[in-house]
Amino acid sequence: MKPEYNVIGKSLPRTGSVDRLRGAPVFAADIQLENPLILKALRSAHDHAEVVAIDVSKALAIEGVVRIFTAADIPGKNLLGIINKDQPLLATDKVRSRSDAVALVAAETESAAHEALAAISVTYNPLPSVTDPFEALKTDAPKIHPKGNLLFSRKIRQGDAEAAFAGCASVIEKTYRTSMIEHNYLEPDAGAGFVDTDGTLVIYASTQNPHYDHKEVVTLLGLGDNQVRIIQAATGGGFGSKLDLNVQGFIGLALFHLKRPVRHVYTREEAYLATAKRHPLTLTVKTGADADGRLKAIKAHIVCDTGAYGSYGIAVASRSAVHVTGPYEIEHVDIESYCVYTNKPFCGAMRGFGAPQVAFAHESQIDLHARDLGMDPLDIRLKNCLRVGSKTGTGQVLTASVGIGECLEAVKPYYREALESGVSAPTHPFRRRGIGLGAMWYGIGNTGVQNPSTAGIEMDPEGHITLFTGCADIGQGSTTVLAQIAAETLGVQPAEIRMVVGDTKYTTNAGATSASRQTYISGNAVKDACQKLGDVLMTEAINRLHSPKDSLVFQDGHVVIKAGPENRPEDRIDFPCLAKRIHAKGVPLFWQGYFDPETIPLDPETGAGSPYATYAFACHLALLEVDTLTGQVTLEKLVAAHDVGQAIHPENVIGQICGGAAMGIGFALMEEFEPQKTVSMKDYHIPTCADVPTVIPIIVESAEPSGPYGAKGVGEPALIPTAPAIINAIARALGERIYHLPANLERVLAASISSGHFGPQEVTHG
Amino acid sequence: MKKLIRLTVNDREYDVAVLPNQTLVDVIRYELGLTGAKKGCEMGDCGSCTVLMDGKPVNSCLVLAMQAAGRKIQTIEGIETENGLHPVQEAFVQKGAIQCGFCSSGMILTAKSLLDKNPNPTEQDIRKSLSGNLCRCTGYQHIIEAVKSVTP
Repeated sequence: MKPEYNVIGKSLPRTGSVDRLRGAPVFAADIQLENPLILKALRSAHDHAEVVAIDVSKALAIEGVVRIFTAADIPGKNLLGIINKDQPLLATDKVRSRSDAVALVAAETESAAHEALAAISVTYNPLPSVTDPFEALKTDAPKIHPKGNLLFSRKIRQGDAEAAFAGCASVIEKTYRTSMIEHNYLEPDAGAGFVDTDGTLVIYASTQNPHYDHKEVVTLLGLGDNQVRIIQAATGGGFGSKLDLNVQGFIGLALFHLKRPVRHVYTREEAYLATAKRHPLTLTVKTGADADGRLKAIKAHIVCDTGAYGSYGIAVASRSAVHVTGPYEIEHVDIESYCVYTNKPFCGAMRGFGAPQVAFAHESQIDLHARDLGMDPLDIRLKNCLRVGSKTGTGQVLTASVGIGECLEAVKPYYREALESGVSAPTHPFRRRGIGLGAMWYGIGNTGVQNPSTAGIEMDPEGHITLFTGCADIGQGSTTVLAQIAAETLGVQPAEIRMVVGDTKYTTNAGATSASRQTYISGNAVKDACQKLGDVLMTEAINRLHSPKDSLVFQDGHVVIKAGPENRPEDRIDFPCLAKRIHAKGVPLFWQGYFDPETIPLDPETGAGSPYATYAFACHLALLEVDTLTGQVTLEKLVAAHDVGQAIHPENVIGQICGGAAMGIGFALMEEFEPQKTVSMKDYHIPTCADVPTVIPIIVESAEPSGPYGAKGVGEPALIPTAPAIINAIARALGERIYHLPANLERVLAASISSGHFGPQEVTHG
Repeated sequence: MKKLIRLTVNDREYDVAVLPNQTLVDVIRYELGLTGAKKGCEMGDCGSCTVLMDGKPVNSCLVLAMQAAGRKIQTIEGIETENGLHPVQEAFVQKGAIQCGFCSSGMILTAKSLLDKNPNPTEQDIRKSLSGNLCRCTGYQHIIEAVKSVTP
């Protein structure tokens, strides 16, 4: 039976909404500062070149130009990166892509800053460049970094895949390609800063990870921890790209030298050019199934093009390798994943860390097996899906909260109804309808590495509660969810808890808002802190209520003796009274919480390990129509079932599902970032509300025992199954499959032509 | 060379000296200090800078400040009533139509303009009307539900 909660599972109004819709100055570009200098970065003119000389004399002579910084002005360590440090803030000896910053201008006005950028003279010695990752792996390829172009590889081996293929009734091998994708959050990267009266450099930033920013800026400037303070400004979307340092280092550098307020706001063009992208992947996947449709073996070769710098590339390569099996039990596994440097803009984290790319492959493969074996696509998924007790490709045995079967069952009625209504029968001479399924699994948190979160809870002697969290709410609603978890644990209403969020002066590290980890990991850290405070309150209450601790509960800001027949005043004591007594005894009313999911690192040779403590699961169903003459795909409906463990805030979960599905539609049908060709939003199209159909969200709650009140995560899972469902629906509509994303007009039309549909079809009546 | 113009923004008159190439969004944000209109692309692609000009939504990054002289401009800061939030704002809160909130000002103003003209729009009307306002967070579903929920 499901436990009953007071505030968990209730969709309360989100924090911060009212400020935003009244136009309050909450974003970094809005923050009012006194007479701020404007910062602008000069970017590289080459894909790959030695920087011979930088002459700033002409630029400095421009009226209003205050200072021009180069790498020589950086007092600390000029090397950034969350996993591997390989990216200078400002170029030193060479540039490795056109995203690289070469110099930083500080000027009194925007126009002076622009003029200065044009007046800086950089002498380059161009080097041969490489933009294809397969070329980059050749021994004679231009060397982008001293250690070579292979940044990382991940192997996962279990059983004997080659031998298993020999016994399979259906063996399919295909190569899949995905494109570089731009996050295209609506708010271009922005920050502002000033030097506080005590000399602290205070930096407001649009960021997903304020405590990481803090560490990087401190190291960059060679300062002490308390000399830099990062405050997360309202963040207008991130989706992974605001995990890297974008403006924070530049602002820190200018504050360090100039001691004047500064502002740095990227134009859309700079946000496109200079921030991380989604890794384009090339994967060759071979899978085998027996005559009953049971998957037996997988062999996969994955190449992730990380561009000029690592950023989160290692995480993408590692997660891709783990997830390429799909949410299916496959005994024999032989997977290799490579992360390769090229002279392109760098790729980093983007919603899903490689899982959306590999889901395109594993979901295409399973549909191909279904067709090969004459099976129904839903039945073959149900036959193979992971269950409690299943062993994954890394040898991890899943012990609880494996809701993929429930997700598949949840979409089944919609699937059967669509099939029975003759969805694939032509209704128009030039249009074909299609139905497709996409399933996925997603490990919550980082892959086989520690990724703890911390949180603080404080009660003042009057009984007021404040929650301190470093967790950046970037629009997904984590602040509301963490307040709910604290409120549930302490028996109060979320609105009664004051939230202090994302300010490195007052909060401790909650880790990145990434990997769908904040509800699960920071939620647990908050719960841990609240339980510690709760224990102190309960212990004090025993003395007052003369009742054992296990008879006491929190209720409406009181400790009460539970389930007594009558509600007597002497059976309850309020928080202010307890807080005052505890405070008078000198017992702390501030408690720190901590949680790190239990994982086992992957073995470097076999990949064996438990990379995640829990997994989310999902299945999407797409119904669409393809115009065989134009290649236009019109989505009619998406059904999206997600196992989130426990929805702390169902409306937020649905918001993530609908938003993720829209991003998945872009990934499937239209989005492709081409360096130097994609310059502005005129060249890169994201879905509008006319492109997105009605989404039917289904929340599946297979409670996770280690989660806060059973919760897992949903942010990235929301996006992952959409593109596979759409691609499978197009394949069903046309009888021809697309292996290269996006399935844009040209590719759909090519599929239409090669399938023989480019011409009038017979219309079935009745 | 700057020229003095009179702008009517949210029923208040402002005399501002503007350059011929200065956009309305820059004047609203930096001269008038109203930060509700956001700069998302400065090319008229995203709709984040939407304001109402004589009741019609415009991308204020594509309007020169001088073109706005003598017109009635309304920004998100000017739509609240004596009773508090405008019904469209209230609906956005109730329906969870705000995630990061960067598109919200523009989205709400476009929706308000639609509802002022057509108090009972169909879902198609709403989708068509809002298709120039991009959102990367919500997938639009809660936004459309919010607009639908505003009854005359």
